Amino acid sequence: MNIRPIYPFTAIVGQDKMKLALMLNVINPGLSGVLIRGEKGTAKSTAVRALADILPEIPVFVDDPYQLDPNEEYDSYLDIRNSLQLPPPEAGKQPQVGMRKVRVVELPVGATEDRVVGTLDLEHALKKGEKRVEPGILAQAHRNILYVDEVNLLDDHVVDVLLDSAAMGVNTIEREGISFTHPARFTLVGTMNPEEGELRPQLLDRFGLCVNIEGIQAARDRVEIMERRAAFDLDPEGFAAQWTAESTALADRLLIARALYPQVQVERPLLFEIAQYCLDVGVDGHRGDIIMLKTAKTLAAFDGRTETESADVQTAAELVLPHRVRRQPLMEIADNIQGLRKRALAAH
Amino acid sequence: MEQTVYPLAAMVGQKTFRQGLLLAAVNPAIGGILVRGEKGTAKSTMVRALAALLPDIPVVRGCAFSCSPEPGADRCPDCRLRFPQLETTIRRARLINLPLNATEDRVAGGIDFPRSLQRGKVVFSPGLLASAHRGLLYVDEVNLLDDHIVDLILDAAASGENRVEREGISFRHPARFILVGTMNPEEGELRPQLLDRFGLCLEVAGAKELEERVELMERRDAYDLNQDGFCAEYQTATDQLAHRIAQARVLLPKVRIGANLRGFIGELCRENNVAGHRADLVMEQAAKALAALEGRLEVSVEHVRVVAPLVLIHRRRDAQPPQPPPPPEPPEPQPPEDQPEPPNQDQGQPEQNQEETKQQQEQQEQQEQAPEQQSQAEDQEQPAKQEAQEEPSENQEQQAANNRDEQLFEIGPAFKVKPLTAVKDRIVRRGSGRRSRSRISQKKGRYVKSSLQTNNDIALDATLRAAAPYQRQRACDDGLAVHLTRQDLRGKIREKRIGNFLLFVVDASGSMGARGRMAASKGAVMSLLLDAYQKRDRVGMITFRRNEAFVNLPPTTSVDTAGRLLAEMPVGGRTPLSAGLAKSHEQVRNYLIRNPTAQPIVILITDGKCNVALGERKPVEESLHLASALSRDGRIRTIVVDTEEAGLVTFGLAQRLAGALEAQYFKIDDLKAEALVNIVRGQQQ
Repeated sequence: MNIRPIYPFTAIVGQDKMKLALMLNVINPGLSGVLIRGEKGTAKSTAVRALADILPEIPVFVDDPYQLDPNEEYDSYLDIRNSLQLPPPEAGKQPQVGMRKVRVVELPVGATEDRVVGTLDLEHALKKGEKRVEPGILAQAHRNILYVDEVNLLDDHVVDVLLDSAAMGVNTIEREGISFTHPARFTLVGTMNPEEGELRPQLLDRFGLCVNIEGIQAARDRVEIMERRAAFDLDPEGFAAQWTAESTALADRLLIARALYPQVQVERPLLFEIAQYCLDVGVDGHRGDIIMLKTAKTLAAFDGRTETESADVQTAAELVLPHRVRRQPLMEIADNIQGLRKRALAAH
Repeated sequence: MEQTVYPLAAMVGQKTFRQGLLLAAVNPAIGGILVRGEKGTAKSTMVRALAALLPDIPVVRGCAFSCSPEPGADRCPDCRLRFPQLETTIRRARLINLPLNATEDRVAGGIDFPRSLQRGKVVFSPGLLASAHRGLLYVDEVNLLDDHIVDLILDAAASGENRVEREGISFRHPARFILVGTMNPEEGELRPQLLDRFGLCLEVAGAKELEERVELMERRDAYDLNQDGFCAEYQTATDQLAHRIAQARVLLPKVRIGANLRGFIGELCRENNVAGHRADLVMEQAAKALAALEGRLEVSVEHVRVVAPLVLIHRRRDAQPPQPPPPPEPPEPQPPEDQPEPPNQDQGQPEQNQEETKQQQEQQEQQEQAPEQQSQAEDQEQPAKQEAQEEPSENQEQQAANNRDEQLFEIGPAFKVKPLTAVKDRIVRRGSGRRSRSRISQKKGRYVKSSLQTNNDIALDATLRAAAPYQRQRACDDGLAVHLTRQDLRGKIREKRIGNFLLFVVDASGSMGARGRMAASKGAVMSLLLDAYQKRDRVGMITFRRNEAFVNLPPTTSVDTAGRLLAEMPVGGRTPLSAGLAKSHEQVRNYLIRNPTAQPIVILITDGKCNVALGERKPVEESLHLASALSRDGRIRTIVVDTEEAGLVTFGLAQRLAGALEAQYFKIDDLKAEALVNIVRGQQQ
C-alpha cells in the first residue's frame, strides 16, 4: 500500500516545549500524559502524528481488537477470550503474531461513553441469546497514543473514564450485566483552547505535563514554516527523505533514553529541591512532587546521563507545575512558574 | 490480572486516614467512610493497599453472592435452600471499584438477558453490590456519582442487604461490605443527607513538611522502579498489620462499653447539635473498633476522644450552610466519672481555622462575614480578599464616585446559592451537569419508563411483556424460550440532571455604584458563578451601561473567564435597561437556534432604575414593555435579582420588571441558601 508520508517530527519549527513534553512521555509513559493548551494551528496534531511515525513497530496478535502484547500479555489474552466465552486457542498453538506501527487513536469530541469504554450489543443478546462485546476506543488505544482534541469540550464523565483508565492502565466495562477488564495503557495527549472553558482541577491534575503554546511570533520562523510546509506538500516523499537521517537519530535517542531510564539516579538534595519548589508555589497533594521527580529523571535519560542535575529539576518544574498551582476559585492558570515562585518567596 | 499494590505499611504520614481505614476494616458496622481531600493525596492508593490486607474469607463454592458457609449467616436465596449442603472454598476479600459510569442495573443487579431468554423466566444477574459482599467497595469521586446510585449504595451499606424491586424483579441478598468513598470538595459537595449516612468522615491534605515530601517521593520512585522488590521489603510490616486486623476482628464482639461512656457519647453528640441518632451509634462502634485494634476489651475515654472528630466532622449543624465544616478539636479529656461536658464550639473555632488550608480558611471567613457584610454593605470597609492588591481602598473610590464616570468595584463576599432549576419537561437532551432534571439520550441516568424507541438501550421487562401474547404463535425449536421480533423491542427512557445555560445580565450603570451596592451585586454574581461551576452550567454575560449593552462573554463553559470579567467590570454612566433586555433576548435566541433543546435561564441583576431608552418612549415604560415581550417566549426562564437597598424611599422598579417578565424575584439576601432550608428541601425530593 502506498501511504502518503507524514510530516517529519524533526522538521517542525519551534514549539520546543511541546515537542519535549511529547518525547518525554514516549520515553516514560509513567508521566501520565501531556495536556497542550493553546490556539488552533500550532502544529499540535502534526507533532503527535509525526512522533508516532518514528517510534519502533510493536508486535501484536493478528486480529486482536485489544492490541495485547504477545510477549507479556498472553495471560490477559486468554483471560479476555475466556470472559467473552470465545473458544481458547488450540492447545500448544500460539495465535499468529504480526508487527504494526504505533497508531494515533483519535477521540472525537462527540464521542459517547459507550464508544469510549466499549459496550454490549443488546439486540444481538436478545435475539440470539449470546453476549457480544464491542470494544471501545480505549481498547484500540492500548500501547498506542490516544489523542484527545478539545478535551475540555468532552462530557465530564467521558473525561473521568478516560483519565481513570490512563491512571490505572486498565479499562473495565461495567454495563448491563457484563463486567470485564482489559489492559489500556496509552500515552495520553490532550489539547484544549482555554478560551472555550477550563478543565476541572481534578482532571487537570491527572495530566502529568502541561504546556502552553502559541503561534510563533518571529517573522523568520513563520516564513520557515511556510517554506517547509510548501516543500512538503509539493513532494512529500522527497521532503521526508531529506529528514530521514535526523528522524532515525532521534528515534535511536528515544530508544536509548528508554533503556537508560531505570538507571538514572537522583541525589537526595535534589529531592529536597523538588519538595521545596512544590511547597513554594503551593501545589495540592503529592502528585506534583512525584511527577516532577520522574520528569527530571526522564530529562536526564533523554540527555544520555544517569545522574539528574538541578537544571533538569528547573526544566521539569516548567512542565509539571503550571496547572497544579493552587488557585483561587475561578482564577487563571499560571503561566510563568519561575516568576510565581519568586513572588511567593518574596511574599514570605 | 494480578496487580501489585503499594503496601499500606509503606505509606508516609496520613495517620488519621490510615487509622480510619483500619477502623472500617475491623468493624464494617461503622457504615462506610468518606475521605475528603485535595487531589493527589494517595486516597486511592491507600484504599487499594487496605484491600490487600483484609483476611481471606471462606465462601460457598460457586455462589455469585460470596455467601458465608458458617451457620447463622445471612445467605442468598439459593444458598438458603441448599444449606447445610454447602461446599466451601477460601479466597481473598475482594476490592470492588465502582466506576463512575456504572448504571443502576450494574450496581444493584438486574436481569440477565441471555439466560432469561434461554430459560423463559427472569434470571437475576448479580451486580457490584453482590460482588462486594464481605469485601471492600470503593467509590472514587463519590460526589460526582448520580445521587440515586449513591442512595442505593448507602442503603445497602446501612442495612447489610440489597433489595431489588424493579423491572418486574423482586430479589434480596446480603451485601455487607466496607464502604470507602472519596471526594474532592472543589468539585462540589455531597448532599447533606448523603453526607450524614457515611459513618466516618476524614479530611486529608498533602504533607507540609519537606522531609516527609522527600521521603514520599523516594518511596514512590523506588516502588515504580521495582515493584516486587519494594513490596518484599515491607512484607513483614504488611503481615503484622494484616495480623492486627484479623485479631481485632476476633476481639471485636467481646469489647464492652461502660454506661457512663455511652452517656458521654450522647452528650458529645447533643452538644455538637447533631441531627438524629446515627452519630451516637457510629461513635460507639468506632470506639469499639479502636479498642479492639489496640487489643483492649473495654472502651476508654481516650478511644472515644480519638474517634469523635471523625464522627462529628460532617454532621455538626451550625449557623453555616452545609459547607465543609472544619474538623472539630477533640473534646477536652474528661474523667468518665464526672458529668461530661464537651467543649464549647465557639472556643474551638479559632484554633480550627489555623489548621485548615489557606483556601478553606478564606472560604469560611467569607461565609462567616457574609451576613454581617450584607447588612451593612453600604459601609464597605471590609476589604475583599481576592482583588485587594489590585485596587485602591474602597473609601477613596467612594469619594471619587461623583467626579468620575467610571469606577471599579471589588467583588463582595461570595455565599452559597439557593437551588435554581429549570422546569422539568419531556424533551430529550444530551450532556452532563447537575442542575436540572431532564430526559436524556445517553445510557446513564435513572430508568423511568419504556418507549417504542430502542436506541440500543433496551428495557427487557417491557420487551418481554410486549412479546408475551405472541409466544404460542411463534413457538419453534431454536433453544430459546422466548421469541422476539423487532417490533417487541422497547427502549428505556432515562432521566438525570444536566447543566443549563445561565445568561447573566448585569446592570453596570452609575446608580449601581452608589453606596457600595456594586460590591454586593458582584458578590451575588460571583456566588451564582461558583454555583454554576459546580453544577457544570454554561454561562454568558451581558453588561449594560452608558448608552448600550455589551456581550462581555458569549456562551462558554469557562466560568473562570466570567469570574475574571466580573472583577474587571467597570461601573458608571446611565442605565440603558431596554438595550440590556434586547441584547439578552438576542443572545438567548441565538443560543436556542444552535441548541434547540437547551433551557436557558436569564439572570438579570439590576435595581430597575433606567434612564436611557432605545426608541421614543419613556425608558421605564419601554423596559417594561420589552420585558413582557420577552416573557412571551416560553422557553426562557428569567430571574431578577434586585439590588435596590431597603430604605425609606424605594421605587420597587425591579419588582415591577420581574412582574412584567413573569420572572422569579429575589433580593440579594434571598438568594442565600440556609442550611436547614436546604436540608428540608432535599428531604422532600
